[in-house]
Amino acid sequence: MLRTASPSRPKSIEDLLDARLVARLSQLDVTSRKILTGKLKGERRSKKRGQSVEFADHRPYVVGDDLRRIDWNIFGRLDRLFLKLYLEEEDLSLQIVIDASGSHDCGEPGKFVFMQRLAMALGYIGLVNLHRVTVTVIGGASGAVTSAVRDLRGRVRTRDLARFICSVEPGGAAAFTEGCKRVALSRRGKGVMVVLSDFLIKEGYEDGLRLLLGHGYDVFAIQVLSPQELEPDLGGDLRLKDVEDADLAEVTIAAPLLRKYKQTLAAYTGRMREFCARREISLMSVRSDTPVDVMVLDYLRKRGLLA
Amino acid sequence: MTFLTPTLAALAAAVAVPTLLILYFLKLRRREVEISSTLLWKKAIQDLQANAPFQRLRRNLLLLLQLLVLGACLFALAQPQVRGTAQSGERHVILIDRSASMSAADGDKQGASRLDAAKRQALDLIDSIPEPNLLGRGGGEAMVIAFDTAAEVRQGFTSSRADLRRAIESVAPTDGRSALGEAFTLAKAYAGKRQIVEDKGLILSGPTATIHLFSDGRLDDAATVTPEVEDQVVYHPLGTSGAANVGITSVRAERSFDDPSRLSIFVGLQSTAPLARSVDVQLALDGQVAAVKSVALSAATPAERQPGGAGSAAPAAIAATAAETESEPIPASSGAVFTLTRAQAAVVSVRLRHPSDAAPDVLAADDEGYLVVPPAKRLSVALVTEGNFVLSYALEGLNLASLRVMTPAEYQRLIDVPASPELAAFDLTIFDRWLPTRKATGNAGGDPKPGLPPGRCLVFGVVPPPPRGLTDKGGADAALVLDWARDHPALRGISLDALTLYRARRVEVEPRTPVRVLALSSVGPAIVEVAELGYRAIVAPFDLMESTWPLDPSFVLFLASSVRYLGHDSGLTAGAEGQSLGQVRTGSTLAELLPSGARDVRLALPGASGQVIGLSPSADDRVAYGPVTSRGIHTLTWEGPKGPTDVEVDGRPRRAIAANLCDASESNLGVRSRLELASRVVQARVNAGGPGVQRLWPWLLLFATLVAMLEWYIYNRRVYL
Repeated sequence: MLRTASPSRPKSIEDLLDARLVARLSQLDVTSRKILTGKLKGERRSKKRGQSVEFADHRPYVVGDDLRRIDWNIFGRLDRLFLKLYLEEEDLSLQIVIDASGSHDCGEPGKFVFMQRLAMALGYIGLVNLHRVTVTVIGGASGAVTSAVRDLRGRVRTRDLARFICSVEPGGAAAFTEGCKRVALSRRGKGVMVVLSDFLIKEGYEDGLRLLLGHGYDVFAIQVLSPQELEPDLGGDLRLKDVEDADLAEVTIAAPLLRKYKQTLAAYTGRMREFCARREISLMSVRSDTPVDVMVLDYLRKRGLLA
Repeated sequence: MTFLTPTLAALAAAVAVPTLLILYFLKLRRREVEISSTLLWKKAIQDLQANAPFQRLRRNLLLLLQLLVLGACLFALAQPQVRGTAQSGERHVILIDRSASMSAADGDKQGASRLDAAKRQALDLIDSIPEPNLLGRGGGEAMVIAFDTAAEVRQGFTSSRADLRRAIESVAPTDGRSALGEAFTLAKAYAGKRQIVEDKGLILSGPTATIHLFSDGRLDDAATVTPEVEDQVVYHPLGTSGAANVGITSVRAERSFDDPSRLSIFVGLQSTAPLARSVDVQLALDGQVAAVKSVALSAATPAERQPGGAGSAAPAAIAATAAETESEPIPASSGAVFTLTRAQAAVVSVRLRHPSDAAPDVLAADDEGYLVVPPAKRLSVALVTEGNFVLSYALEGLNLASLRVMTPAEYQRLIDVPASPELAAFDLTIFDRWLPTRKATGNAGGDPKPGLPPGRCLVFGVVPPPPRGLTDKGGADAALVLDWARDHPALRGISLDALTLYRARRVEVEPRTPVRVLALSSVGPAIVEVAELGYRAIVAPFDLMESTWPLDPSFVLFLASSVRYLGHDSGLTAGAEGQSLGQVRTGSTLAELLPSGARDVRLALPGASGQVIGLSPSADDRVAYGPVTSRGIHTLTWEGPKGPTDVEVDGRPRRAIAANLCDASESNLGVRSRLELASRVVQARVNAGGPGVQRLWPWLLLFATLVAMLEWYIYNRRVYL
């Protein structure tokens, strides 16, 4: 809950992922409940008929079709031109959206470091499986609404991805809806979108998530909360200052208020879960002290994001 | 309800209440903490406030509670108090009787003494006096006087309760008699501030004090006490009427005239018990029990009741008068006589032993009596006369060791020799119509004046000059003797009815002098006794030969009794104002003339403590100690020569002096329900202390604490933005 006293920022990929985890991540792949089209041919079966070796269907020839794909056997039997359609194997667009507003630079362990590690793990899985990986940061200390690294593909781009993630400094007030809007406009194709945030957004998270839903993206929302946010260790007469907008709240924290806070947090999370469920958004709430390997190897696999 | 410090509380309120309100409106300074988001906190607060329908009221409730706490504290600061029993006057003089009768164990049902009960009631009274306020002003004042025959200021006027309590608790019982006069004079002196105003006389210039008298009312001189009109006197009676007490009222030793080794001890007893009872009188000589006698005492005569009752038609006014006339039971009297042969000196102690089956005796102070009996001896008497055959013959008939008849000139020659051993050999000197001349004491250059020499004298036909308390008013005509002290040892068993004075002598006895009138004639005192330190004389100022007395048998009897009384000087006579040599009454001053050159004088007090007091002899070799507070044998020892009756122990002369209560009034333990003073009758006030002043400030502070705790609880149950 409190601003992290002296946050230790990851400097390199070694700070984000350790070697053992990397070895285990290589065996995973990003899954989607939808079969999505991609721009490049990847290792993923697509709904599109394409140029793989696996037969899918026939369709009548129309002028302009590739003559190499005419099924001459059918033409010999029926004297009509049909094209052989094959299942296309294509890549998947993995969009990772990180909310880098100032509120994430809080908690012990820090929420943003956890989000950086999780994003790196997911991005690495995407790169290894030849998906197009795009990481977009909303907000941040730079003051830009969004900053992104786009369309990374292949294991060789791992260090580029890590460099970008390490370069992000959380800070400032996030314009979450505006950021989501830009993400929605800039994304290409279809794929899986993972949104990492604490979703404690005063302007509301609903509009932003709604914007991200378009274009058939399979959206996973991961809410990261620090243990102090879940179990506040505050007490007494305090003036609470919001790190993002310097909003003040004068409180006298005692047992009844703490109880009420927890009830409010539970209600807030419950409303968000309901919101997401209605829109087929998978929502996960995790504590920032959850180990990343447990998160990736266990929780995300159970929730169907990874396989 | 009254307030001791209303101004202080008002000033404090003027400062504190606005301060509290200002502090309330200036919000609490809070610690600033940066957190990730205030979103949830604000929602929680809104929900909490929404859930508290009386939230605004609760906010005000805190202020209300704080104001309530402050109000209670300010109210306590004003020191409110509620008076239970109104105490008239803000100044109180507390007189506590500490005489022997106050030691009676009937102060309460638990057997506490009357003095303990008096102290308890006095402490209650102290508690009921308003305390001074925080600024030390206001409040009541009190002073404490303890008295028996003498009065002692134990604590002057103060508002300090601790000092007053200490003074009251320090009052210890004595074996003295009760006398209100001195105590009341002292109390009056303190009670009201009076000043002399021209043309108006002595007027009261300040608030008068209430005089509280804690006593059993056995105050023989109460009728002589004259309170002023403005003096408020409250009498708090102590003890229970009808308390059973058997006490020694007199103890006296007498040697037989014919055989001085035959010693008779007379013990007078008195019982106030409502039932007849018997008591054992134990006689001990020098600590060894010599005899025990059982004495039966009849029941005390109940108080006389006015005739009347159901059939009486006495008017109500008479009945009321009867009710006002207080009558009390008349104690039963009896006595015991021990006759024994004892030629030596002895310290005689008499003790009462109460049978175990009898009702307990409530007063132990009068169960003992002491006597110092000098050794048996026949007396040497000097008669100084120009010639009086009546006296000479009468004295020759007495069983004397020696009788020397001297002319005044011969005697004068003897007395002019300082410390004449010849004079010291006489036990008694009889002056007939002549007194020796002596230089005035302390005035070496003064003219010699006639006067009594030290020792014991019998004087006929001449009046000793002042300062003896006697004033010679010249001759008078014939007179008859009207009354005489029948209980005096010199006149016991003698009738003076037949005595006619052809030429009486008119004398005047000044009050409050050691002169006691033994016989009263139609022109004034006819026979008087003068008793002072080391002096004792019986004076018949008329000329014997100008009266019928020499022809009356009573003369010889009087002469014999007087010679014996003055010569032996060993009887302690009930009712005698003066004290016999070797005897002292409790409450009075012990004074002894020691042989010249006595030094390092020590007085050992009776009792288990064995306290020894060093005394310094005065220029004329007298030592004094007083007032004597406890009964028993007081022993004087010194270094130097010993007197003729003194014994020597361990190289130091020793003289024993017996101190006795022997007071019939003290032994009569009836409680008087009212006090008849000279100018008014004071009715007893029962339960005078009462609940006293109820101070409210502790309760207010307790209330403030409880409200503060409630406020703290509510404060912790709520949150405000």
